[in-house]
Amino acid sequence: MSDQTLSTRRHFVRIVSAAGATAAIGPFFHARPAKADKGELVVVSWGGSWAKSLREVMFTPFEKETGYKVRDDGPPEAAKLKAMIQSGSVTWDILDTDLPAIQTMVKEGLLDPIDYSKLDKAKLDHIPKTLQSSHAVGHKIYSFNIVYNTKTFPVGKHPRSWAEVWDGEKFKGGRSFNFRGGIAPQLEIALLADGVPMDKLYPIDVERAWRSTDRLRPLVTKWYQSHAEAIQLVTAGEVDIACTIGPRGIYAKRSGAPIDVDYNQGKLGSDYWCLVKGAKNPEVALQFINFALDGKRQAGMVKENPYGASNSTAFDFLTPQEAKDLTTAPDNIKRQFWISEDWWGKVGPDGKNENQKQKERFAAWMLKK
Amino acid sequence: MTFPGAPVRPAPRRYWRTRQGLVLVAPLGFFLAVYLYPLTRLLGWSFFSPGFTLEHYAKLFREPAYLQAFRNTAEISIWVTGLSLVLGYPLAYLMTVVSRRVRTLLIVLVLVPFWTSVLVRTFAWMVILGKRGIINQVLVGWGVIDRPLALIYNMLGVQIGMVHVLLPFMVFPLLSVMARIDTTLVAAARSLGASPRQAFIRIFLPLSLPGVSAGCVLVFLLAVGFYITPALLGGEGQVTFTTLIELVVRDLLDWNFGASLGVFLLTVVGTLFVLFSTLLGLDRLTGDSRA
Repeated sequence: MSDQTLSTRRHFVRIVSAAGATAAIGPFFHARPAKADKGELVVVSWGGSWAKSLREVMFTPFEKETGYKVRDDGPPEAAKLKAMIQSGSVTWDILDTDLPAIQTMVKEGLLDPIDYSKLDKAKLDHIPKTLQSSHAVGHKIYSFNIVYNTKTFPVGKHPRSWAEVWDGEKFKGGRSFNFRGGIAPQLEIALLADGVPMDKLYPIDVERAWRSTDRLRPLVTKWYQSHAEAIQLVTAGEVDIACTIGPRGIYAKRSGAPIDVDYNQGKLGSDYWCLVKGAKNPEVALQFINFALDGKRQAGMVKENPYGASNSTAFDFLTPQEAKDLTTAPDNIKRQFWISEDWWGKVGPDGKNENQKQKERFAAWMLKK
Repeated sequence: MTFPGAPVRPAPRRYWRTRQGLVLVAPLGFFLAVYLYPLTRLLGWSFFSPGFTLEHYAKLFREPAYLQAFRNTAEISIWVTGLSLVLGYPLAYLMTVVSRRVRTLLIVLVLVPFWTSVLVRTFAWMVILGKRGIINQVLVGWGVIDRPLALIYNMLGVQIGMVHVLLPFMVFPLLSVMARIDTTLVAAARSLGASPRQAFIRIFLPLSLPGVSAGCVLVFLLAVGFYITPALLGGEGQVTFTTLIELVVRDLLDWNFGASLGVFLLTVVGTLFVLFSTLLGLDRLTGDSRA
């Protein structure tokens, strides 16, 4: 009896310690971070099919052309960069990430400004001026769009405007909006649903936008945490309409999911190349960014991943069929609006930018009973 | 308390004076480096920015959202602990009465979920419980219900997902205590005229209570820190404290405030742990049967 007892107990202790150890170690089990030495460049992106294409279209050709080695790492978490810089062990050179993250990083002093004199003027001339900001240069254009399940709403009978997404009577079914993931809450979209025209969104009437968001709330089944989750929710029919990244919806549609995207009233934004503060190879990093802003190479990226290329000459290298679905295709982009970097990045007297303020308010709103 | 049948152990010696104490040096160093040092940094962030301030804690109490998130966390944890006990107690009891072979089989079955990541298991629940998941498809297909039931994105989904993950932490403490209960005591009660029910309630149940308390404390404390399952299977009402910590640390990069949230959670959980272990004798969990 006592023998057995002991063995059961040891068994238990062993089990619990093993489980505890697994749980404790889990979060630290990243692959060994790539290290930036001389002659090497570390480029950090969000992974997935985009990172795979970066390797084929950008990294390998850059290595061949310049002799520098490019290592990839990810994800480009602002929190991780902050920890690296605080501890003085920076292993990243270039980040590929979105506007809210960049604004927060600039505010925290985690990025170096871009020296535009080191980039080809010929390329910059074809890139919208709004995407050439002090600390970041835009390369991959995406948009928040109406992404819907085609089994629930056959194409043509789907909601075509945010006002229709807000209409739970005419378009029955669950909605999903982002709680985290890029700019959240979707204040501009709430204003559009409330009848504000697309060219009158800024400066945002914050209170009106929140009142509109109040009306959306009962229709939302799930506030999602990541865009991958949103696409999964729509594909599986867990929700019928999501406000998420349109190009991701197109990508899922191409692989056969019952999903489609309406670009009308979409919110355009960009992912940017930016330079890590204290990066070991700023010269080479700028050389890479210049290389990557090339229209033909951007075309190579968006063929596989249907985002928009920031360099308009990319269209010269795409067939009409390849170009038609992109968020930047002339027929699509004219029905959408650009997010205002100035509005979201504006720092108030409390030292917080609008993005941080509205995110905090979003959390409080979500927890209000 | 010493239970009849429990192995008699010598009084604890002062290990640090013996050569065996040397063995402890490595784990102690490890503990100091990877646990105590970051914890000190965390405390520092929560009180200094850059001068001493209580602002980060004041904000936590000023803003009702954070306390609401804490209430959500507590509510989820209490539910999950209760449900794990209701499911785990009979299971652990069954394990003590069956043959050794069956018991091993049951242990393996309880352990199997440990071999899969929590994330994968949570997604599996989404496939099973979703609007177009297996359960709803079958029920709608058979005409039992007209519309799919809302099984996830609410408290129910979180309860199912978390109980599935945490059940082993209830079952094994219970089993370790139940296996030590001398069954002849139950037999004696029966021979003195107690009904099976009386014998269970008056003899077995009280003797198993240390396992109940150990299991409940373990499950509750783990549930408080749970992140993935409530985030994926929960709805608006299940925004937890850990979700807010993540938002503050990763999206807002406000590490001072994030640290104060972390310290607050740690303090509450630590207080509960001390309270429970004093009141309920948690040392039984490690098998240390002090009188």
